[in-house]
Amino acid sequence: MTLSRSAALRVGLIVLVAVLVQVSVVAQVPIFGGRANLIPVAVAALALLGGSLTGAAAGFAAGLALDLSMGMSLGGSSLVLTFVGYSIGRFAELRDVSHGLLPIAVAAAGTLGYDMAYGAVTFMLDIEATISVLVLRDMLVGVLLNALLALPLFALVRRIVRPLVPEGRFEGRRRGRPREAGPIGLRGLGLGGG
Amino acid sequence: MYPDRKTIRRRRAIFGALVLTSLALLTVWFGEPAGGALHTLQRGAQEVFSPIQTGASRALKPFRDTIAWTGATLSAKGENDRLRDELGQLRQELAATQTARRDVEQLQGFVDIAREDRFPQGTAPVTARVIARSPTVWWSSVQINKGSGDGIAVDQPVITGDGLAGKVTSVTGGTATITLIADERSSVSAQVMPAGADGIVRPEVGNPNDMLLDFVEKGSRIKTGQTVVTSGFSSSRGLESLFPRGVPVGRVKEIDRSELDIYQTVHIEPFAELKRMDFVQVLTAPRPGPGARAEVPSQ
Repeated sequence: MTLSRSAALRVGLIVLVAVLVQVSVVAQVPIFGGRANLIPVAVAALALLGGSLTGAAAGFAAGLALDLSMGMSLGGSSLVLTFVGYSIGRFAELRDVSHGLLPIAVAAAGTLGYDMAYGAVTFMLDIEATISVLVLRDMLVGVLLNALLALPLFALVRRIVRPLVPEGRFEGRRRGRPREAGPIGLRGLGLGGG
Repeated sequence: MYPDRKTIRRRRAIFGALVLTSLALLTVWFGEPAGGALHTLQRGAQEVFSPIQTGASRALKPFRDTIAWTGATLSAKGENDRLRDELGQLRQELAATQTARRDVEQLQGFVDIAREDRFPQGTAPVTARVIARSPTVWWSSVQINKGSGDGIAVDQPVITGDGLAGKVTSVTGGTATITLIADERSSVSAQVMPAGADGIVRPEVGNPNDMLLDFVEKGSRIKTGQTVVTSGFSSSRGLESLFPRGVPVGRVKEIDRSELDIYQTVHIEPFAELKRMDFVQVLTAPRPGPGARAEVPSQ
């Protein structure tokens, strides 16, 4: 997806709403001791739909908005979410992303990657305390909650950016150039080609 | 269709630029003083975001209450099965009632804690509602709906109805950011009562129900169940004194006495429910005079 002005506006809107809803509402609702996190899911959805550039840009914007609004270490979240968005975008560019349940796996992986990478960044920057196993439990609960939220959130993001996504984007792309059919209509039977 | 070299180079360049920008922001943010350009920008952004956050927080409160109620119900599923039919008619009413009761309990706690003998007198607490929380699992900060317009300033102590919660680290006109005592950067000097043993309360990151009272001399007689209160100073790197003396911090639940260590480590359970607090109080009055403070123990 080329980041036209219209696309950038929609991506920015999705990112901003995700950050606001996350810090104002979702982060205040503990479920089974953990909390869902809409931000990596929104970034993952945009990356899956728009590719690596869109993913990286959305991740950077979401991280920046989060750091600015919550007074967190400026640049920390944007660094991590840029990587998350870019990685998922590259995955979408290289693999078949047509499977209907793929958003669940992508959201879970994106959330886990975000949590672990943000933890690593936090440790590298400034930490002088022991770590509890409770962190792992909360991460796990957060990943599961995000996986549950993935399908509706991906569908919502897809609906918003649908006019900007090339047609057939999710209709069975595969890695590698498709082999052309032979003269009798079967693949692999073409003469001198393939 | 496959991207050409130019597209690939452009993609990598933009990705690299975003990463470098993030790293540059981090470097400058950590390197500059609190009044630096990025910190100022951050405060400005919080000024802009705060009305939106407050509005969103209020507008979506019924939704939040319903979700919170649902979560609580699910976790107590086995117990509630028998009453499910009856509860079906009362769900909305129950959600509202429980939320209101919880609010009242927390607010009542502020009244009770201020009546305790050890609690610092002469403070002017400002009660505020938590409007946003850090979404990371590290529980490092929350944002409240009161700011400098209400007399709140950076470094003022923050309590819940149960005990110490953290301190103010950033203020805008209408909001303030509270760094919790469970944050990895937090360290609070404290005393075990009634023994008077001094130590430094540090978090066990990720587990706000278990904090460590470090640097407690081995000879100090400490028992489980004893109360830990602030000793009159905060030692973030041992330089500042921020917290007034006598704010309850937690209760001793375990003591590590390793023969090789010079100090004993005391595990304490904080009084404040850091993950569940909806209201906090900022102690906005000037800190008590030097007579009410203890000295930092030599380490």
